[in-house]
Amino acid sequence: MGEKVFMQGNEAFAESAIRSGCKFFFGYPITPSSEMPEYYAKKAPEEGLTFIQAETEVAAFNMIAGVAATGKRGMTATSGPGFSLGCEAMSYMSAASLPSVVVDVMRPGPADGEILGSQGDYFQLTKGGGHGDYRTIVLAPYSVQEYADFAPLAFELAEKYLNPVVVASDGTLAKMMENVVLPERTSGPERQPWAVDGAKGRPHNDITTCGDGPEQWEAFNLRLQAKYQNIRDNEQRWEEYQTEDADVIIVAFGVYSRVAMAAMKMAREKGLKVGLIRPITLWPFPVKAFENLENKDFFVTELNSGQMVEDVKLAVKDKDRVEFYGRLGGMIPTPVELFNKLCELYMK
Amino acid sequence: MKSEIIFSGIGGQGTILMGKMVCTAASKKGLNVTLSPAYGQEKRGGRASCQVVISEEMGSPIISEADTILVMDEKSFDDYEGKVKAGGTLIVNSSMINKKPNRTDIKVMEIPFTEIATEVATARSANMVALGAVVKTLHIVDLDDAKAVVAAKMKPALVEANIKALEAGYHFDER
Repeated sequence: MGEKVFMQGNEAFAESAIRSGCKFFFGYPITPSSEMPEYYAKKAPEEGLTFIQAETEVAAFNMIAGVAATGKRGMTATSGPGFSLGCEAMSYMSAASLPSVVVDVMRPGPADGEILGSQGDYFQLTKGGGHGDYRTIVLAPYSVQEYADFAPLAFELAEKYLNPVVVASDGTLAKMMENVVLPERTSGPERQPWAVDGAKGRPHNDITTCGDGPEQWEAFNLRLQAKYQNIRDNEQRWEEYQTEDADVIIVAFGVYSRVAMAAMKMAREKGLKVGLIRPITLWPFPVKAFENLENKDFFVTELNSGQMVEDVKLAVKDKDRVEFYGRLGGMIPTPVELFNKLCELYMK
Repeated sequence: MKSEIIFSGIGGQGTILMGKMVCTAASKKGLNVTLSPAYGQEKRGGRASCQVVISEEMGSPIISEADTILVMDEKSFDDYEGKVKAGGTLIVNSSMINKKPNRTDIKVMEIPFTEIATEVATARSANMVALGAVVKTLHIVDLDDAKAVVAAKMKPALVEANIKALEAGYHFDER
Protein backbone atom coordinates (compact mmCIF):
# COMPACT_ATOMS: atom_id res chain seq x y z
CA MET A 1 0.00 0.00 0.00
CA GLY A 2 1.30 3.38 -0.98
CA GLU A 3 1.10 6.57 1.01
CA LYS A 4 -2.11 8.58 1.13
CA VAL A 5 -2.01 11.79 -0.88
CA PHE A 6 -4.53 14.62 -1.01
CA MET A 7 -5.43 14.92 -4.66
CA GLN A 8 -8.03 16.18 -7.09
CA GLY A 9 -10.22 13.55 -8.81
CA ASN A 10 -9.11 14.20 -12.40
CA GLU A 11 -5.45 14.37 -11.47
CA ALA A 12 -5.71 11.21 -9.38
CA PHE A 13 -7.19 9.36 -12.36
CA ALA A 14 -4.49 10.64 -14.71
CA GLU A 15 -1.68 9.72 -12.28
CA SER A 16 -3.24 6.32 -11.74
CA ALA A 17 -3.50 5.74 -15.51
CA ILE A 18 0.18 6.65 -15.93
CA ARG A 19 1.08 4.20 -13.17
CA SER A 20 -1.01 1.56 -14.95
CA GLY A 21 1.22 1.79 -18.01
CA CYS A 22 -1.03 4.05 -20.10
CA LYS A 23 1.62 5.94 -22.04
CA PHE A 24 -0.64 7.56 -24.65
CA PHE A 25 -3.12 10.35 -24.08
CA PHE A 26 -4.92 12.12 -26.89
CA GLY A 27 -7.49 14.73 -26.08
CA TYR A 28 -9.08 18.05 -26.66
CA PRO A 29 -9.57 20.24 -23.58
CA ILE A 30 -13.10 20.70 -22.27
CA THR A 31 -14.25 21.65 -18.79
CA PRO A 32 -14.61 19.76 -16.46
CA SER A 33 -12.15 17.21 -17.88
CA SER A 34 -9.21 19.47 -18.73
CA GLU A 35 -7.01 18.65 -15.74
CA MET A 36 -6.44 15.22 -17.27
CA PRO A 37 -4.85 16.36 -20.55
CA GLU A 38 -3.00 19.05 -18.54
CA TYR A 39 -1.60 16.43 -16.17
CA TYR A 40 -0.49 14.17 -19.02
CA ALA A 41 1.08 17.08 -20.87
CA LYS A 42 2.98 18.11 -17.74
CA LYS A 43 4.21 14.58 -17.00
CA ALA A 44 4.98 13.61 -20.60
CA PRO A 45 8.68 14.64 -20.72
CA GLU A 46 9.78 13.08 -17.41
CA GLU A 47 7.65 9.93 -17.79
CA GLY A 48 8.29 9.33 -21.50
CA LEU A 49 4.61 9.65 -22.41
CA THR A 50 3.03 10.59 -25.72
CA PHE A 51 0.56 13.43 -25.37
CA ILE A 52 -1.20 15.06 -28.29
CA GLN A 53 -3.73 17.84 -28.10
CA ALA A 54 -5.84 16.76 -31.04
CA GLU A 55 -7.63 19.18 -33.37
CA THR A 56 -11.04 17.82 -32.28
CA GLU A 57 -12.47 15.02 -30.19
CA VAL A 58 -13.19 13.17 -33.45
CA ALA A 59 -9.45 12.99 -34.01
CA ALA A 60 -8.63 12.19 -30.38
CA PHE A 61 -10.99 9.21 -30.23
CA ASN A 62 -9.64 7.85 -33.52
CA MET A 63 -6.05 8.23 -32.25
CA ILE A 64 -7.09 6.10 -29.25
CA ALA A 65 -8.43 3.51 -31.69
CA GLY A 66 -5.05 3.53 -33.41
CA VAL A 67 -3.09 3.00 -30.19
CA ALA A 68 -5.48 0.28 -29.01
CA ALA A 69 -4.99 -1.54 -32.34
CA THR A 70 -1.29 -1.86 -31.51
CA GLY A 71 -2.15 -3.46 -28.14
CA LYS A 72 -0.79 -0.52 -26.14
CA ARG A 73 -2.68 1.33 -23.43
CA GLY A 74 -4.10 4.69 -24.52
CA MET A 75 -6.88 6.92 -23.25
CA THR A 76 -8.80 10.10 -23.75
CA ALA A 77 -10.95 12.20 -21.43
CA THR A 78 -13.73 14.54 -22.39
CA SER A 79 -17.16 15.80 -21.43
CA GLY A 80 -20.57 15.27 -23.07
CA PRO A 81 -20.12 17.56 -26.11
CA GLY A 82 -16.79 15.88 -26.86
CA PHE A 83 -18.13 12.40 -26.21
CA SER A 84 -20.87 13.06 -28.77
CA LEU A 85 -18.18 13.78 -31.36
CA GLY A 86 -16.31 10.62 -30.35
CA CYS A 87 -19.30 8.32 -30.73
CA GLU A 88 -18.45 7.31 -34.29
CA ALA A 89 -15.13 6.01 -33.00
CA MET A 90 -16.83 4.33 -30.00
CA SER A 91 -18.97 2.34 -32.44
CA TYR A 92 -15.92 1.54 -34.55
CA MET A 93 -13.75 0.48 -31.58
CA SER A 94 -16.58 -1.72 -30.29
CA ALA A 95 -16.93 -3.52 -33.61
CA ALA A 96 -13.16 -3.82 -33.98
CA SER A 97 -12.85 -5.15 -30.40
CA LEU A 98 -10.30 -2.52 -29.43
CA PRO A 99 -9.45 -2.23 -25.72
CA SER A 100 -9.55 1.50 -25.11
CA VAL A 101 -10.39 3.66 -22.09
CA VAL A 102 -12.43 6.85 -22.29
CA VAL A 103 -13.37 9.07 -19.37
CA ASP A 104 -16.57 11.08 -19.72
CA VAL A 105 -16.64 13.84 -17.14
CA MET A 106 -20.34 14.60 -17.32
CA ARG A 107 -21.63 18.17 -17.31
CA PRO A 108 -25.22 19.33 -17.72
CA GLY A 109 -26.50 19.39 -21.29
CA PRO A 110 -28.04 19.26 -23.74
CA ALA A 111 -25.60 21.07 -26.03
CA ASP A 112 -22.91 23.28 -24.40
CA GLY A 113 -25.04 23.60 -21.29
CA GLU A 114 -23.14 24.23 -18.06
CA ILE A 115 -19.84 23.16 -16.51
CA LEU A 116 -20.90 21.71 -13.15
CA GLY A 117 -21.70 18.10 -12.28
CA SER A 118 -24.45 16.11 -13.98
CA GLN A 119 -25.48 12.55 -14.80
CA GLY A 120 -27.21 13.47 -18.05
CA ASP A 121 -25.02 11.25 -20.25
CA TYR A 122 -26.32 7.97 -18.75
CA PHE A 123 -28.29 7.05 -21.86
CA GLN A 124 -25.46 8.05 -24.17
CA LEU A 125 -22.91 5.96 -22.27
CA THR A 126 -25.00 2.87 -21.55
CA LYS A 127 -27.27 2.60 -24.56
CA GLY A 128 -24.73 3.29 -27.26
CA GLY A 129 -24.45 6.89 -28.36
CA GLY A 130 -22.97 5.77 -31.64
CA HIS A 131 -24.62 3.64 -34.29
CA GLY A 132 -25.24 -0.10 -34.39
CA ASP A 133 -25.65 -2.87 -31.82
CA TYR A 134 -22.74 -2.29 -29.51
CA ARG A 135 -22.14 -2.01 -25.78
CA THR A 136 -19.33 -0.58 -23.72
CA ILE A 137 -18.56 -1.36 -20.10
CA VAL A 138 -19.34 1.74 -18.01
CA LEU A 139 -17.81 2.24 -14.54
CA ALA A 140 -19.18 4.93 -12.22
CA PRO A 141 -16.80 5.86 -9.38
CA TYR A 142 -18.13 7.60 -6.24
CA SER A 143 -14.94 8.85 -4.56
CA VAL A 144 -11.52 10.09 -5.60
CA GLN A 145 -10.12 6.75 -4.36
CA GLU A 146 -12.47 4.76 -6.54
CA TYR A 147 -11.85 7.10 -9.48
CA ALA A 148 -8.12 6.35 -9.19
CA ASP A 149 -8.76 2.60 -8.66
CA PHE A 150 -10.84 2.46 -11.83
CA ALA A 151 -7.92 3.46 -14.08
CA PRO A 152 -6.16 0.06 -13.82
CA LEU A 153 -9.52 -1.73 -13.61
CA ALA A 154 -10.75 -0.07 -16.81
CA PHE A 155 -7.65 -1.21 -18.73
CA GLU A 156 -7.87 -4.74 -17.29
CA LEU A 157 -11.53 -5.08 -18.29
CA ALA A 158 -10.89 -3.55 -21.71
CA GLU A 159 -8.11 -6.06 -22.37
CA LYS A 160 -9.97 -9.01 -20.86
CA TYR A 161 -13.00 -8.52 -23.12
CA LEU A 162 -11.32 -6.61 -25.98
CA ASN A 163 -13.86 -3.83 -25.68
CA PRO A 164 -13.89 -0.10 -24.95
CA VAL A 165 -14.48 0.85 -21.31
CA VAL A 166 -15.97 4.18 -20.28
CA VAL A 167 -15.43 5.74 -16.87
CA ALA A 168 -18.50 7.84 -16.05
CA SER A 169 -17.23 10.71 -13.93
CA ASP A 170 -18.86 14.10 -13.42
CA GLY A 171 -17.96 17.72 -12.76
CA THR A 172 -18.26 17.27 -9.00
CA LEU A 173 -15.99 14.24 -8.67
CA ALA A 174 -13.56 15.66 -11.21
CA LYS A 175 -12.84 18.79 -9.15
CA MET A 176 -13.20 17.25 -5.72
CA MET A 177 -10.09 16.66 -3.60
CA GLU A 178 -9.75 13.72 -1.21
CA ASN A 179 -7.17 11.40 0.30
CA VAL A 180 -6.17 8.71 -2.13
CA VAL A 181 -3.78 5.77 -2.18
CA LEU A 182 -2.41 5.51 -5.72
CA PRO A 183 -1.77 2.12 -7.34
CA GLU A 184 1.67 0.56 -7.70
CA ARG A 185 3.38 1.09 -11.03
CA THR A 186 2.86 -1.56 -13.71
CA SER A 187 4.07 -1.58 -17.27
CA GLY A 188 0.82 -2.66 -18.96
CA PRO A 189 0.33 -5.81 -21.01
CA GLU A 190 2.95 -7.76 -22.97
CA ARG A 191 2.78 -7.76 -26.75
CA GLN A 192 -0.78 -8.79 -27.71
CA PRO A 193 -1.11 -11.71 -30.18
CA TRP A 194 -3.96 -9.97 -32.05
CA ALA A 195 -2.35 -6.52 -32.35
CA VAL A 196 -1.30 -4.79 -35.54
CA ASP A 197 2.18 -3.76 -34.44
CA GLY A 198 4.23 -5.21 -37.28
CA ALA A 199 4.20 -8.94 -38.11
CA LYS A 200 7.72 -9.71 -36.87
CA GLY A 201 7.90 -13.31 -35.70
CA ARG A 202 4.22 -14.08 -36.25
CA PRO A 203 1.58 -14.16 -39.00
CA HIS A 204 0.00 -10.95 -40.27
CA ASN A 205 -3.02 -9.69 -38.21
CA ASP A 206 -6.11 -7.96 -39.57
CA ILE A 207 -8.44 -5.64 -37.65
CA THR A 208 -11.47 -4.87 -39.74
CA THR A 209 -15.09 -3.83 -39.27
CA CYS A 210 -16.18 -4.21 -42.85
CA GLY A 211 -19.06 -6.60 -43.64
CA ASP A 212 -18.68 -9.28 -46.31
CA GLY A 213 -22.34 -10.12 -46.97
CA PRO A 214 -25.28 -10.25 -44.55
CA GLU A 215 -24.71 -13.87 -43.41
CA GLN A 216 -21.10 -13.17 -42.49
CA TRP A 217 -22.07 -9.87 -40.88
CA GLU A 218 -24.83 -11.44 -38.83
CA ALA A 219 -22.36 -14.04 -37.57
CA PHE A 220 -19.91 -11.22 -36.71
CA ASN A 221 -22.65 -9.42 -34.80
CA LEU A 222 -23.69 -12.57 -32.96
CA ARG A 223 -20.11 -13.02 -31.76
CA LEU A 224 -20.21 -9.48 -30.39
CA GLN A 225 -23.56 -10.17 -28.71
CA ALA A 226 -22.15 -13.35 -27.13
CA LYS A 227 -19.31 -11.25 -25.71
CA TYR A 228 -21.79 -8.74 -24.30
CA GLN A 229 -23.77 -11.57 -22.68
CA ASN A 230 -20.55 -12.89 -21.14
CA ILE A 231 -19.90 -9.40 -19.71
CA ARG A 232 -23.48 -9.21 -18.39
CA ASP A 233 -23.03 -12.58 -16.69
CA ASN A 234 -19.69 -11.78 -15.09
CA GLU A 235 -19.13 -8.09 -14.57
CA GLN A 236 -22.15 -6.61 -12.79
CA ARG A 237 -20.84 -4.58 -9.89
CA TRP A 238 -22.72 -2.76 -7.21
CA GLU A 239 -22.73 -1.95 -3.50
CA GLU A 240 -25.72 -2.27 -1.25
CA TYR A 241 -26.38 -0.97 2.24
CA GLN A 242 -29.04 -2.15 4.66
CA THR A 243 -31.33 -3.45 1.93
CA GLU A 244 -32.48 -6.59 3.77
CA ASP A 245 -34.90 -5.03 6.25
CA ALA A 246 -35.57 -1.91 4.13
CA ASP A 247 -39.07 -0.80 3.13
CA VAL A 248 -37.65 1.76 0.71
CA ILE A 249 -34.41 1.32 -1.22
CA ILE A 250 -32.72 4.39 -2.70
CA VAL A 251 -30.91 3.75 -5.98
CA ALA A 252 -28.21 6.27 -6.89
CA PHE A 253 -24.82 6.16 -8.64
CA GLY A 254 -21.58 8.10 -8.80
CA VAL A 255 -20.52 10.72 -6.27
CA TYR A 256 -24.18 11.74 -5.93
CA SER A 257 -24.83 8.38 -4.21
CA ARG A 258 -22.98 9.83 -1.22
CA VAL A 259 -25.68 12.48 -0.84
CA ALA A 260 -28.20 9.62 -1.00
CA MET A 261 -26.22 7.73 1.64
CA ALA A 262 -26.33 10.74 3.97
CA ALA A 263 -30.12 10.97 3.42
CA MET A 264 -30.39 7.25 4.15
CA LYS A 265 -28.53 7.69 7.45
CA MET A 266 -30.88 10.53 8.44
CA ALA A 267 -33.82 8.24 7.74
CA ARG A 268 -32.31 5.39 9.78
CA GLU A 269 -31.70 7.77 12.71
CA LYS A 270 -35.42 8.53 12.62
CA GLY A 271 -36.24 4.82 12.64
CA LEU A 272 -37.25 4.64 8.98
CA LYS A 273 -36.19 1.48 7.20
CA VAL A 274 -34.34 2.84 4.21
CA GLY A 275 -31.57 1.07 2.26
CA LEU A 276 -29.42 1.92 -0.73
CA ILE A 277 -28.17 0.26 -3.90
CA ARG A 278 -25.27 1.93 -5.70
CA PRO A 279 -24.71 0.59 -9.21
CA ILE A 280 -20.97 0.63 -9.94
CA THR A 281 -21.23 -0.76 -13.47
CA LEU A 282 -23.89 1.26 -15.27
CA TRP A 283 -23.46 -1.20 -18.12
CA PRO A 284 -23.83 -4.04 -17.48
CA PHE A 285 -26.56 -2.73 -15.21
CA PRO A 286 -26.50 -4.72 -11.94
CA VAL A 287 -29.89 -6.44 -12.33
CA LYS A 288 -28.64 -9.14 -9.93
CA ALA A 289 -28.77 -6.57 -7.11
CA PHE A 290 -32.56 -6.46 -7.46
CA GLU A 291 -33.18 -10.19 -7.85
CA ASN A 292 -34.17 -11.20 -4.34
CA LEU A 293 -35.73 -7.99 -3.16
CA GLU A 294 -39.43 -8.69 -2.66
CA ASN A 295 -42.06 -6.28 -1.51
CA LYS A 296 -40.02 -3.10 -1.45
CA ASP A 297 -40.32 0.38 -2.86
CA PHE A 298 -37.50 1.85 -4.92
CA PHE A 299 -36.60 5.53 -4.88
CA VAL A 300 -34.34 6.30 -7.83
CA THR A 301 -32.58 9.64 -7.72
CA GLU A 302 -30.28 11.01 -10.41
CA LEU A 303 -28.85 14.29 -11.62
CA ASN A 304 -30.87 14.07 -14.82
CA SER A 305 -34.53 13.85 -15.81
CA GLY A 306 -34.77 10.09 -15.30
CA GLN A 307 -32.43 7.80 -17.23
CA MET A 308 -31.13 4.98 -14.98
CA VAL A 309 -34.67 4.72 -13.59
CA GLU A 310 -35.61 2.92 -16.83
CA ASP A 311 -33.05 0.20 -16.10
CA VAL A 312 -34.28 -0.05 -12.51
CA LYS A 313 -37.85 -0.54 -13.79
CA LEU A 314 -36.63 -3.38 -16.01
CA ALA A 315 -34.76 -4.97 -13.10
CA VAL A 316 -37.48 -4.93 -10.42
CA LYS A 317 -40.54 -7.16 -10.24
CA ASP A 318 -43.09 -4.37 -9.90
CA LYS A 319 -42.26 -1.20 -11.83
CA ASP A 320 -45.18 0.63 -10.24
CA ARG A 321 -43.20 0.63 -7.01
CA VAL A 322 -40.42 2.76 -8.53
CA GLU A 323 -40.41 6.52 -7.87
CA PHE A 324 -38.01 9.04 -9.38
CA TYR A 325 -36.54 12.36 -8.29
CA GLY A 326 -34.01 14.24 -10.36
CA ARG A 327 -32.30 17.63 -10.51
CA LEU A 328 -31.05 19.29 -13.66
CA GLY A 329 -28.70 21.97 -14.86
CA GLY A 330 -25.92 21.26 -12.36
CA MET A 331 -28.13 21.54 -9.27
CA ILE A 332 -27.44 18.95 -6.56
CA PRO A 333 -29.82 18.48 -3.63
CA THR A 334 -28.34 18.55 -0.14
CA PRO A 335 -28.79 15.49 2.10
CA VAL A 336 -31.61 17.29 3.98
CA GLU A 337 -33.40 18.20 0.74
CA LEU A 338 -33.18 14.62 -0.47
CA PHE A 339 -34.37 13.29 2.89
CA ASN A 340 -37.36 15.66 2.77
CA LYS A 341 -38.19 14.45 -0.73
CA LEU A 342 -38.05 10.86 0.51
CA CYS A 343 -40.43 11.70 3.36
CA GLU A 344 -42.78 13.52 0.99
CA LEU A 345 -43.06 10.43 -1.20
CA TYR A 346 -43.23 7.67 1.39
CA MET A 347 -44.30 9.04 4.77
CA LYS A 348 -47.67 10.43 3.69
CA MET B 1 -16.42 13.44 15.11
CA LYS B 2 -17.23 15.43 12.02
CA SER B 3 -16.54 18.98 10.88
CA GLU B 4 -18.26 20.71 7.98
CA ILE B 5 -16.84 24.02 6.83
CA ILE B 6 -17.59 26.43 3.98
CA PHE B 7 -15.08 28.99 2.74
CA SER B 8 -16.58 31.55 0.38
CA GLY B 9 -15.28 34.66 -1.31
CA ILE B 10 -14.22 35.97 -4.67
CA GLY B 11 -11.45 34.63 -6.87
CA GLY B 12 -8.01 35.69 -5.66
CA GLN B 13 -8.92 35.82 -1.97
CA GLY B 14 -7.51 32.36 -1.34
CA THR B 15 -10.67 30.61 -0.16
CA ILE B 16 -9.77 27.37 -1.88
CA LEU B 17 -6.18 27.58 -0.65
CA MET B 18 -7.52 27.85 2.93
CA GLY B 19 -9.74 24.83 2.37
CA LYS B 20 -6.83 22.83 1.03
CA MET B 21 -4.68 23.76 4.02
CA VAL B 22 -7.31 22.64 6.52
CA CYS B 23 -7.73 19.38 4.58
CA THR B 24 -3.99 18.77 4.43
CA ALA B 25 -3.70 19.26 8.19
CA ALA B 26 -6.66 16.96 8.90
CA SER B 27 -5.53 14.25 6.51
CA LYS B 28 -2.15 14.15 8.26
CA LYS B 29 -4.13 13.06 11.33
CA GLY B 30 -5.57 10.12 9.40
CA LEU B 31 -9.03 11.62 8.90
CA ASN B 32 -11.11 11.48 5.75
CA VAL B 33 -11.28 14.82 4.01
CA THR B 34 -13.35 15.98 1.06
CA LEU B 35 -12.98 19.39 -0.53
CA SER B 36 -15.56 20.35 -3.16
CA PRO B 37 -14.64 23.59 -4.89
CA ALA B 38 -16.97 25.86 -6.85
CA TYR B 39 -15.52 28.41 -9.20
CA GLY B 40 -16.99 30.93 -11.56
CA GLN B 41 -15.67 30.81 -15.09
CA GLU B 42 -13.63 33.98 -14.51
CA LYS B 43 -9.99 33.78 -13.50
CA ARG B 44 -10.38 36.61 -10.99
CA GLY B 45 -13.32 38.36 -9.45
CA GLY B 46 -15.83 35.52 -9.81
CA ARG B 47 -17.28 33.51 -6.96
CA ALA B 48 -14.81 31.05 -5.45
CA SER B 49 -15.96 28.82 -2.64
CA CYS B 50 -15.37 25.38 -1.27
CA GLN B 51 -17.10 22.99 1.06
CA VAL B 52 -14.89 20.90 3.32
CA VAL B 53 -15.97 17.78 5.18
CA ILE B 54 -13.64 16.20 7.73
CA SER B 55 -14.81 12.95 9.28
CA GLU B 56 -13.82 9.50 10.42
CA GLU B 57 -15.82 7.82 7.67
CA MET B 58 -16.40 9.08 4.14
CA GLY B 59 -19.44 11.33 3.95
CA SER B 60 -21.45 13.37 1.49
CA PRO B 61 -19.39 16.02 -0.31
CA ILE B 62 -22.54 18.13 -0.53
CA ILE B 63 -23.56 19.45 2.87
CA SER B 64 -26.88 20.74 4.15
CA GLU B 65 -25.38 23.22 6.64
CA ALA B 66 -21.93 23.86 8.08
CA ASP B 67 -20.40 24.12 11.58
CA THR B 68 -18.20 27.01 10.48
CA ILE B 69 -18.67 29.34 7.54
CA LEU B 70 -16.13 31.94 6.49
CA VAL B 71 -17.45 34.73 4.27
CA MET B 72 -14.90 37.00 2.62
CA ASP B 73 -17.27 39.29 0.65
CA GLU B 74 -20.84 40.64 0.88
CA LYS B 75 -22.31 38.34 -1.73
CA SER B 76 -21.01 35.33 0.19
CA PHE B 77 -22.43 36.82 3.40
CA ASP B 78 -25.88 37.05 1.79
CA ASP B 79 -25.71 33.51 0.46
CA TYR B 80 -24.31 31.73 3.48
CA GLU B 81 -25.59 33.39 6.66
CA GLY B 82 -28.55 30.99 6.59
CA LYS B 83 -26.37 27.92 6.10
CA VAL B 84 -24.63 27.95 9.49
CA LYS B 85 -25.81 25.19 11.85
CA ALA B 86 -27.55 26.45 14.98
CA GLY B 87 -24.74 26.90 17.52
CA GLY B 88 -22.16 27.13 14.74
CA THR B 89 -19.90 30.02 13.81
CA LEU B 90 -20.08 32.62 11.05
CA ILE B 91 -16.75 34.34 10.48
CA VAL B 92 -17.17 37.66 8.71
CA ASN B 93 -14.46 39.59 6.85
CA SER B 94 -15.36 43.00 8.26
CA SER B 95 -12.70 44.64 6.06
CA MET B 96 -15.04 44.08 3.15
CA ILE B 97 -18.47 43.42 4.67
CA ASN B 98 -20.51 46.15 6.36
CA LYS B 99 -23.70 44.13 6.89
CA LYS B 100 -24.82 42.79 10.26
CA PRO B 101 -26.14 39.25 10.61
CA ASN B 102 -29.79 38.70 11.55
CA ARG B 103 -29.31 35.37 13.22
CA THR B 104 -29.07 35.12 16.99
CA ASP B 105 -28.64 31.34 17.27
CA ILE B 106 -25.06 31.33 16.00
CA LYS B 107 -21.74 32.76 17.09
CA VAL B 108 -20.58 35.61 14.85
CA MET B 109 -16.95 36.69 14.65
CA GLU B 110 -16.41 39.95 12.76
CA ILE B 111 -12.73 40.34 11.99
CA PRO B 112 -11.02 42.99 9.83
CA PHE B 113 -8.66 40.55 8.09
CA THR B 114 -6.94 43.10 5.88
CA GLU B 115 -6.24 45.57 8.71
CA ILE B 116 -4.89 42.86 11.00
CA ALA B 117 -2.77 41.39 8.21
CA THR B 118 -1.34 44.82 7.43
CA GLU B 119 -0.52 45.29 11.13
CA VAL B 120 1.35 41.99 11.63
CA ALA B 121 2.56 41.20 8.09
CA THR B 122 1.24 42.55 4.77
CA ALA B 123 -2.28 42.89 3.36
CA ARG B 124 -1.63 39.85 1.19
CA SER B 125 -1.72 37.63 4.28
CA ALA B 126 -5.36 38.51 5.00
CA ASN B 127 -6.40 34.96 4.16
CA MET B 128 -3.97 33.53 6.73
CA VAL B 129 -5.62 35.72 9.39
CA ALA B 130 -8.91 34.25 8.22
CA LEU B 131 -7.50 30.72 8.32
CA GLY B 132 -6.36 31.29 11.91
CA ALA B 133 -9.90 32.33 12.88
CA VAL B 134 -11.38 29.26 11.19
CA VAL B 135 -8.90 26.89 12.87
CA LYS B 136 -9.92 28.30 16.27
CA THR B 137 -13.45 26.96 15.70
CA LEU B 138 -12.33 23.44 14.76
CA HIS B 139 -11.87 20.58 17.19
CA ILE B 140 -9.93 18.45 14.76
CA VAL B 141 -7.17 20.74 13.57
CA ASP B 142 -5.26 23.04 15.93
CA LEU B 143 -2.94 26.02 15.48
CA ASP B 144 0.23 23.89 15.42
CA ASP B 145 -1.20 21.69 12.67
CA ALA B 146 -2.02 24.76 10.59
CA LYS B 147 1.44 26.23 11.19
CA ALA B 148 3.05 23.00 10.01
CA VAL B 149 1.07 23.15 6.77
CA VAL B 150 2.02 26.80 6.18
CA ALA B 151 5.67 25.94 6.80
CA ALA B 152 5.49 22.98 4.40
CA LYS B 153 3.50 24.59 1.59
CA MET B 154 4.80 28.14 1.33
CA LYS B 155 8.03 29.56 0.01
CA PRO B 156 10.53 29.81 2.91
CA ALA B 157 10.69 33.62 2.62
CA LEU B 158 6.93 33.92 3.19
CA VAL B 159 6.55 31.47 6.07
CA GLU B 160 7.32 33.79 8.96
CA ALA B 161 4.93 36.57 7.91
CA ASN B 162 2.14 34.12 7.17
CA ILE B 163 2.55 32.34 10.50
CA LYS B 164 2.29 35.72 12.25
CA ALA B 165 -0.92 36.41 10.33
CA LEU B 166 -2.23 32.94 11.18
CA GLU B 167 -1.54 33.47 14.89
CA ALA B 168 -3.17 36.91 14.85
CA GLY B 169 -6.35 35.43 13.41
CA TYR B 170 -6.32 32.54 15.86
CA HIS B 171 -5.92 34.82 18.87
CA PHE B 172 -8.24 37.59 17.60
CA ASP B 173 -11.01 36.96 20.14
CA GLU B 174 -8.50 37.30 22.98
CA ARG B 175 -7.72 40.89 21.98
